Amino acid sequence: MNKFLHIIFAGFLFFSSSVIHALEVIEILGGKASQIPIAVMPFKSFGAQKDIGKINSVIKGDLGRSGLFYPLDTRGVAASPNSDKEVNFSQWKSLEAQFLIIGRIDFVQKEKIKVSWSLIDIYKQQTILSGEYVGKNNQIRAIGHKVSDKVYERLTGSKGVFHTKIAFVEKYNNQKFKLNIADYDGYNITSLLDSKMPIISPRWSPDGKKIAYVSFEKEKPVIYIQEIATGKRKLLANFKGNNSAPAWSPDGKRLAIVLTYSTNSQIYLINTDGSDVKRLIRSRSITTEPSWSPDGKEIYYTSNQGGGPQIYKFNLESSEVSRVTFEGKYNLYPSLSYDGKLLLYLTQDQGKFKVALQNLQSNQVLKLTKGPLDEAPVFAPNGHMVLFVYKNYGKTTKIGTVSINGLKIDPLPLGSRQVQEPAWGPIKN
Amino acid sequence: MKFIKLENNDELQANLFSFAIHLALFLVMIFSVGWQTKTPYYGEVELWDSVPVQKKINKTQATPKKKIKQKQNTKVQKSAEAKAKAKAQKEADIKLKKKKAAEKKAAEKKAKKLKKQKAIKELKKKVLKQEKIDKLKKEMLEKEKVERLQQQIIEQQKIEKMQAELRESELKQQKKPALEGEDEVKGGVNTGELNKYKLLIQQKIQQNVNQQLCGLDYITLEFRISLMPTGELLGQPKMTKSSKIKSCDDAVERAIIQSQPLPLPIDSGLFSKLKNLELKFHPNGVE
Repeated sequence: MNKFLHIIFAGFLFFSSSVIHALEVIEILGGKASQIPIAVMPFKSFGAQKDIGKINSVIKGDLGRSGLFYPLDTRGVAASPNSDKEVNFSQWKSLEAQFLIIGRIDFVQKEKIKVSWSLIDIYKQQTILSGEYVGKNNQIRAIGHKVSDKVYERLTGSKGVFHTKIAFVEKYNNQKFKLNIADYDGYNITSLLDSKMPIISPRWSPDGKKIAYVSFEKEKPVIYIQEIATGKRKLLANFKGNNSAPAWSPDGKRLAIVLTYSTNSQIYLINTDGSDVKRLIRSRSITTEPSWSPDGKEIYYTSNQGGGPQIYKFNLESSEVSRVTFEGKYNLYPSLSYDGKLLLYLTQDQGKFKVALQNLQSNQVLKLTKGPLDEAPVFAPNGHMVLFVYKNYGKTTKIGTVSINGLKIDPLPLGSRQVQEPAWGPIKN
Repeated sequence: MKFIKLENNDELQANLFSFAIHLALFLVMIFSVGWQTKTPYYGEVELWDSVPVQKKINKTQATPKKKIKQKQNTKVQKSAEAKAKAKAQKEADIKLKKKKAAEKKAAEKKAKKLKKQKAIKELKKKVLKQEKIDKLKKEMLEKEKVERLQQQIIEQQKIEKMQAELRESELKQQKKPALEGEDEVKGGVNTGELNKYKLLIQQKIQQNVNQQLCGLDYITLEFRISLMPTGELLGQPKMTKSSKIKSCDDAVERAIIQSQPLPLPIDSGLFSKLKNLELKFHPNGVE
C-alpha cells in the first residue's frame, strides 16, 4: 500500500514539475524612482474645534517631505468615508490614488482627544493599517507625526522620522547665539543655550538625551556636553589649541574630536567623562570632521593628504586608511546613513557647493541639490532624508530637508531667523 | 703789493683781446637798451557793485557855483540813492532768500511725494511680482500634473499601438502561409510573437515597480499570475519568493496589479502560452 502511495506521489511530483516547467518566465530588471500617490482626507471631528481636523495637513506635509509620497489634492472630493466599506474605489483609482488615509477625532475628556485613523489600499480594496492615539488638544501636531510614522513604516519598511527633534544654531541681534531644539519640521522651537559667543557643531548623543557642541566662550573653541532635560552641562575638552568637531560613537561612550594640540588639526578619541584621550591618526596633513560608521569600526573624515580635501576612512581595528571619494576635487563634511550603505557629503561642482550622496556599494554619486552655497548636510536617522543649510548669494540662510531621491526640497518654516549648523536627533522608541 | 710779472707775450695778447671784447659788449649794452626817460601812464579804476544811475544835468543852466552845489546835491542824492538802493537790494535779497526757501521747500515736498509715489509703485510692483510668482508656481504645478498625465497617456497609447500592430501582424500571418526563414514555430506557436508579447508585458510591469521601496541590495522576488484573455488578472498575484523586505514585496505586487490590463495576443494558441506566467523581479538589477 505504501509503495503504491509513493508511486502516486512521485507521479504527482513529476506531473506538477512538468506543469511548472511549462510556465513562461518573464524577468523584470529595475524599476522607477516614483512617488506613491496618496490621498489624506481631513479627519472628521466630533465635538472638537474645527481646525483640529486639519491634522491631515500635518500628515500630508510629512509624507510629501519624504520624497517617497505624492499627496494628492483632495479638494472637491466628496465627503470623507468613515471606513473602507464606504470607499468608492473606482473614484480613487481614477484620481490615481494608491492609498487613502481617513480618520476621526473624538473628545474623550476635558481637553483630551482620541484620534482614530485607517490606511486603505486602493488596489487591494481593504484597510491595511489602523490605529488610535489619545492626547491633549495641543498635541495634535505630535499625533499627526505619529500617524505619519506608522503609515511610512508600513508602506516603505523604514521607520518614520516625523516625530523626531532637530537642533540648530540661531544668530540674533547680530552678535548673540542660541542653541535651539525644534520638531523635525521646524515647529515648537525651544532654546537650550543662549550665548554671547558663537556656538557650532551641535551633535546629538545616540540616546537623544544630550548634545555635544563647540562654544567659543573661553575665547577659543572648546567642547561641552549638555543634558537636554536638565540643561546641566560639563566641559569635555579644553586642551591647548582648538577643540572642535565632536562626533559621538554609536554606543555613546566615546567621542571623536579634533584638536590642534601638538600640530595642525588632528582627530582624537575621548571618553564622555573626558578621560582616555588618544590620538587616532598620525598624519602630517589635516584630518578633521570625523564621522563614525554605524558599527563603530570605522571613522570617516576629511583630509588634505592628497592635495585638495577628500574623504577618507580609518579602520579602528587594522589602522588602515583608505580614500573614499574620487569624483570631484573638493569633497568634505562626511556623514553615514544608519545602515552604513550611503555616504553623505558636501561637494564642489562647477564652482557650486552641493549636497552629494554616494552609494558605498556601487560608488555611484548622486547630487541631491543644486547649490550654490549649501552647507552642513546631515542624515535623518532613517537615512531617507537630509537636513542641510542652503543659501543663495547674499540672501538669508535657510535650513531645509531634501529627500535622498532628490525629488523634494523643503525649507523649514523658520521665518527670517538667521540659522546655521543643523543636527538631526535620533528616533526615540 | 707784488704783481706777477707777465713772462709770456701770448698772455699779454690774450689779455688785450679780452679787454677789447668786454669793451665792445659794454658799448652794445649802452646803445641797444632803450633807457626809459618818460613817466609811465597809469589809470585808476573804481570798482562798483552796480552801475549807478546817471541823472541828466541841464548843461546850459548850470553855472560853476551851481555846478558845485549841484555836485554837492548829486553827492547827497547819490548817497541817499545808494542807501535806498542798498535797502531795496536787501529787501530783494530777503525776498530772494524767501523765494529760494519756498522753492526748496516745494522741491523737497515734491521729492517726498515722488519718493512716496515711487515706494507705492515699487510695493505695487512687488505685489504684482509675488502674484506673478504665485501664478507661475500654480501654473507650473498644473503643468507638471498635466505633463504627468500626458506622459501616461502617451505611454498607454504607445502600448496600445504596439498591441494593435502586433494583433494586425498576427492576423496577417494567420492568413498568410508560413514562409521559410520566418519566426520559428514550435508546437504550433510562433516564438517570435511570443517573445514580443513577453517583452510588452515586461515593459508595462517594470514601469510600475517603485524600486525605492526595495533597499539597495541585489534581491529577487518571484510571483505567479494567471490572466484572462482581456489581460486582467485572474485572482491575486501569488508570491512564490519573497525579497524579505515587506515594503518591496508589496510594491512589486502593487506594480503587477497596477499594470492591468496586460497586453495579450488574440491568437488562442499564443494566449494559452501566456495565460499563466512566472514573473522574476530584480528591482536593484543583478550582480
